[in-house]
Amino acid sequence: CSNFQKLLKSNDVTKKYQAALEYYEKEEYYRASQLLDQVTPLLAGTGESEKALFYQAQSHFKQSNYILSDAYFRNFYTTYPRSPLAEEAMYMQAQSLYQQSPSYQEDQTPTITAIMAFEEFVTRYPDSENVPEANSRIEQLYLKLDRKEFNQARLYYQLRYWHSAVVAFNNFQREHASSPYSEEAAFLKLESQYRYAMESVASKQEERFDEAIDYFQSFVDQYPDSRFKRNAEQFYEQARSELERIRKNTNNQANL
Amino acid sequence: SQVLNNPVQTSPIDYAEPKQYRIGGVEITGAKFLEPVALISVIGLKEGDEITVPGEDISRAIQKLWQQGILGDVEVFARTEGDLIYLTFDLKERPRLSEYRFSGINKTQSEALRDKVPLQRGKIVTDAVLNSTRNAIRNYYLEKSFLNAKINITQRPDPTLPNSVILNIHVDKGNKVKIEKIEFVGNEAFADKRLRRQLKKTKEKKWYKIFTSSKYNRTEYENDKQLLLDFYSTEGYRDATIVSDSVYRISDDRLGIRITVDEGQQYYYRNITWNGNYIYDDAYLSRVLGIAKGDIYNKQELDKRLNYNPAGIDVSALYQNDGYLFFNIDPVEVRVEGDSIDLEMRVTEGPQATINKITITGNDKTSDHVILREIRTLPGQKYSRDDLIRTRNELAALGYFDPETIGLNPVPNPVEGTVDINYSVVERPNDQISLSGGWGGPIGAVGTVGLTLNNFSTRKMFNLSEWRPVPTGDGQRLSLNVQANGKYYQSYSLSFTEPWLGGRKANSLTVSLFKTIRRFPGGEGAESRLNVDGAAVSLGRRLNWPDNFFYMNHSLSFNRYDVSNYNIGGLTNGLSNSISLTNTLGRSSIDNPTFPRRGSSFTLSVNMTPPYSLISENMDPLEYIEFHKWMFDASYFINLAGNLVLNTRAHFGFLGTYSQDNTLGPFERFKLGGAGLGGGNIFVGTEYIGLRGYEDERVVNSTDQSLLNAGGIAYNKFVFEARQLISPNPAATIYGLAFLEAGNNFGSYAEYNPFKLYRSAGVGARIFMSAFGLLGFDYAWRLDDLPPGVAGDASKRGMFHFIIGQQIR
Repeated sequence: CSNFQKLLKSNDVTKKYQAALEYYEKEEYYRASQLLDQVTPLLAGTGESEKALFYQAQSHFKQSNYILSDAYFRNFYTTYPRSPLAEEAMYMQAQSLYQQSPSYQEDQTPTITAIMAFEEFVTRYPDSENVPEANSRIEQLYLKLDRKEFNQARLYYQLRYWHSAVVAFNNFQREHASSPYSEEAAFLKLESQYRYAMESVASKQEERFDEAIDYFQSFVDQYPDSRFKRNAEQFYEQARSELERIRKNTNNQANL
Repeated sequence: SQVLNNPVQTSPIDYAEPKQYRIGGVEITGAKFLEPVALISVIGLKEGDEITVPGEDISRAIQKLWQQGILGDVEVFARTEGDLIYLTFDLKERPRLSEYRFSGINKTQSEALRDKVPLQRGKIVTDAVLNSTRNAIRNYYLEKSFLNAKINITQRPDPTLPNSVILNIHVDKGNKVKIEKIEFVGNEAFADKRLRRQLKKTKEKKWYKIFTSSKYNRTEYENDKQLLLDFYSTEGYRDATIVSDSVYRISDDRLGIRITVDEGQQYYYRNITWNGNYIYDDAYLSRVLGIAKGDIYNKQELDKRLNYNPAGIDVSALYQNDGYLFFNIDPVEVRVEGDSIDLEMRVTEGPQATINKITITGNDKTSDHVILREIRTLPGQKYSRDDLIRTRNELAALGYFDPETIGLNPVPNPVEGTVDINYSVVERPNDQISLSGGWGGPIGAVGTVGLTLNNFSTRKMFNLSEWRPVPTGDGQRLSLNVQANGKYYQSYSLSFTEPWLGGRKANSLTVSLFKTIRRFPGGEGAESRLNVDGAAVSLGRRLNWPDNFFYMNHSLSFNRYDVSNYNIGGLTNGLSNSISLTNTLGRSSIDNPTFPRRGSSFTLSVNMTPPYSLISENMDPLEYIEFHKWMFDASYFINLAGNLVLNTRAHFGFLGTYSQDNTLGPFERFKLGGAGLGGGNIFVGTEYIGLRGYEDERVVNSTDQSLLNAGGIAYNKFVFEARQLISPNPAATIYGLAFLEAGNNFGSYAEYNPFKLYRSAGVGARIFMSAFGLLGFDYAWRLDDLPPGVAGDASKRGMFHFIIGQQIR
C-alpha cells in the first residue's frame, strides 16, 4: 500500500490537507485533488478552508476537469468575495467555461455562458491585469458564433436552396453585422438571389432580378474594394441583361 | 438569528430610520471549534466598510454564515460610537456530520439512497435535516410498495474528529404491500372489470398475472383515477366524477381500494356549426372533422380530430400544412338540451407564416451541417406541420439521437409573419462494439471482433483534440470486422460510407473490402483451400420523383474465389471471378428505425454480371461467373392500438442465366430456413433468408442432395408479425412479437409454385441496445411436414431461434 493510499484512507484532516498542498506544489494534481475533495467539506469554517477551496478548484483545472473547476471557482468567489484570490477565481471560472466551449459546429450554449462570464469579470474588475486577455477571449468566442451562423447560411447555398440561402444570409447580416464574414455573406446573398431568380417562374423573375440588383448595389456601397467585386459585377451584368430581356418581352406583349 | 439591540446601549438603533455607519470592528464570539478569522472572511464585512443599519448588509452576512451549513445559530449584536459601528456575531456551534451509514438494507439500495438523502458531510446535523432524510427514505420505499418501512436514525460522536457525529440509519423495510382487491360502487353503465382495466398501474394481485405488478404507488394511483375519468369522458359521460375513494388495509401486506363514482348521463352531438372560416367551407370542414349528428360526445376524440390526429387527417392539418401557423379553433358548446350538445366551431385562420430561422440545440457531438441538411423546413418556405413531423422522423432515422426526445419548437413572430424553428436533440451513443466467441459449426471455435462507428468523421481525424475517444460528428460510417479461429478460418472486412458525397446532395458513397481465408485439414499436400477476396463500390441517391421517399442505389462489386483441392460446382483448382452490377430501387417511409409504428418500405434490386455467354462461346463459365438475380422485398407497418403494431412482409428472389444451355453455378443461390444468420457456413455470394420453425438453410424444395447443399434459385416468403412495445427506453428498446410466416425455396424453375409454402407460427422478443444492436429469440412451431430430403425428427415441431442483428428478409 503506497503512502498516498494510506493518506486517502486516514482520518487525519490536517495531515491530508498538508499532503495535498505538497502534491499540488509537485504538480501532482490528481493526487492533490483527490485529497482536497475529501477534506474541503470538513475544513469549512477553519482558517485553511479558503486556501483549500482555491487549490481544489485549481487542481481540477490543471487536470482539464473543467466542469468541476467551473463549479469550484464559482463556489469560491461567492463564498469569499473579499478574498484576495476572488478576482483570480472569477477569471479562472470564466477560463473553465471557455475550455468547455465546443467547436463551432456543435451546440454553442457553453460558448454563450463563457462570454457572459468573461463580460461579468471585465465589468467587476475593470483594472485587473487579466482584462486584455479576457477581452481577447470574448472576441474569439463571438467570432466562433459568427462562424457558426455563417456556415449554417452557407450550407443552404451549398445545397442550392437559393431562396433559403438568401433568407439565411439576410438574417446573418442583420445579427452579425460587424463580423469578418459579412463581406462574403453579402456576395453569396447576391449570387443566391441571382440564381433564385434564374430558377423562378417567368412571372416572378422581374421582381427577383430587381432584388438581386439591389443586393449588388448595397454590396458595392459597403465593400467597394471587395475581393469578390469582379464576380459580383458579373452577376450584376447578367441580372441586368435578363431584366432587359424580360422588359422587352412584356413591352412586345403590351404592343400586340 | 436576528439583529438585537444591545441592552446597555445608550443610542439604540432605530428600525424606522436606517442610518449609514462605518464598521469599527467585527468580532466573533461563541466559536469553540471554528476559527473566528476564517469566519470573518466568510462574513465579508471589514473594518472601514460603509454599511446601512438596519439594512441588507448584515442579513447577507448572516446568510453567508448559514450557507456554510456549520452553525446551529447566529446572533448579531451592534454597538455604535458616533458613526462607527462595532458588530459582534455570537455563534452557537452544533456537531457536524463526518459520516453516515445504512444498515438493514443491501448495498444497491443504500447506494441509491445516498443520492436521495439531503445529508452532506461537513454540515451540521439539525432536526430538519434528519426529518427530510427520513422522508426521502420513506418515499423511496413507498415507490417500491414497502408501505411499512421503519427508519431509525442514531447519532454518536466521531472519535477521530472533534465536534463531529456519525449517523447510523437503520431501515426495516417490512413487508411489500400489494393490492388485494379493487371495488367500484355506483357504476351502472360499465362492469367493474371494464373499469379495473382502465387503471393502468394499479392492479389487483392475482396468481395468474405473472407480469403484472400489483404495487400500490400513490402518484400512479392518482394518475389512474384521472385515466378512469378520461375513459368515462370518451364514452360520452362527461359529467362523471369520483365521489369518494378509499385505500384501506386488509392485512399487514394487503390493501383494498374502493372507488365510488357518479356516472351522470351520456351525451350526444346534435348540431355542429362553423364560424370564422373563409378558406374552407363548412361542408368540407365537417367532412374532415368526421363527426355526425347523434354520435356519442367524446371530448378527446373531438380534440384529436380538431388539433392533431397521428393516425389520420385533422382540421388543423388543413391549415397548418399550408402556413397557417396562427390558426386556432375553439369548439364552444352553445347549447345543451337533455342529452344533446350543440357545438359552434370558432375558427381564427390568421395570416400565413414564413419560416425564417432554423436553429439546433443539444448537438454536442454531431456537426450542424449533418443535422441541417436533413431538415425539411427551409428558411423562406411556408410553415408546414407535416414537414416538421417528417423532419423529426428523419432525424430519428439518423440514429444519432434519442428518437423519443427530439424537440420541435416553432417560435412564431406574429409581427413579421414569420416563424423560427428550434430543433432540440439529445445525443445518444450509437457506436457498436462486438466481441464474441462461439462454436461455429464445422469450423470449430470462432472469435469475432467488430467495431462499427456510425457517426465518424474523417475530417477531424488529423486533429488530436477531436479524438474523444474517436473523431465523431460528420455522419460517416466506418465498420471493421475480424473473425477468426486461427489457421482454418479468417475473415476480414472493412467498409466506409460517406452519406453526402460532395456535400451538395444526399448521394452516399460506400467502399468496402473483404478477405476470407478457409482451409480444410487434410493429409500431406491434400489440404484444401477456399479463399474469397472482394471489393465493392456503391453509390446511393435519394430521388424526388415519384415522391421524395424514393431512393436508388448502384453498386459495382468484384469477388475472386481462389480454390485448391476443393470442389465448388465443378471447379477444384484455380481462380473464379465474379464482376457484377447491382441496381436497387426502393422507397421507405418508416417513422422510427428501432420500433417502426407506421410507414412502409419496398425495394427491388437487380444484380447482374456481364452476359459473357452471349458475347463469346469460348468463355469458361467457371472462370467468369455469370448470373442475374432479382430480389423484391416489401414491408408495411400499421399501428393497431397504442404500442401494438402489425408488420406485413413479402419477399421474393429469382436467379437466372443469360443463355438457355448454361447451368447455374453454386454462387449467389438462396438458402432459406432458421434465423437467416448464415450459420457457421459463411459462404460469400449466398443469400441467407430466415424461415422460423425450420432448420437453418434446410428449406429447398428438392430431393436432390447436391441442390439441398447448394441452395435454391427462386424463393418466396410472407410474414405477418404483431409487435408490442414493452420498453421504449432508447438504451434498451424491448418488444415482444407473435408471427405467422410461410416460405419456400425451389431448386429449379420447373418446380416453382408460389402457392406451395412451408408455414410456421410462433412468439418471440427483441431487445435493441444501442451498443450491441438487435438481439432476440423466437420460439417457432412448424405447421408443415419437413421438406423432402431433410433429415430430422418429423414429430419434433417446435424450435428456438436466436437472432443477432436486424433482419431485412
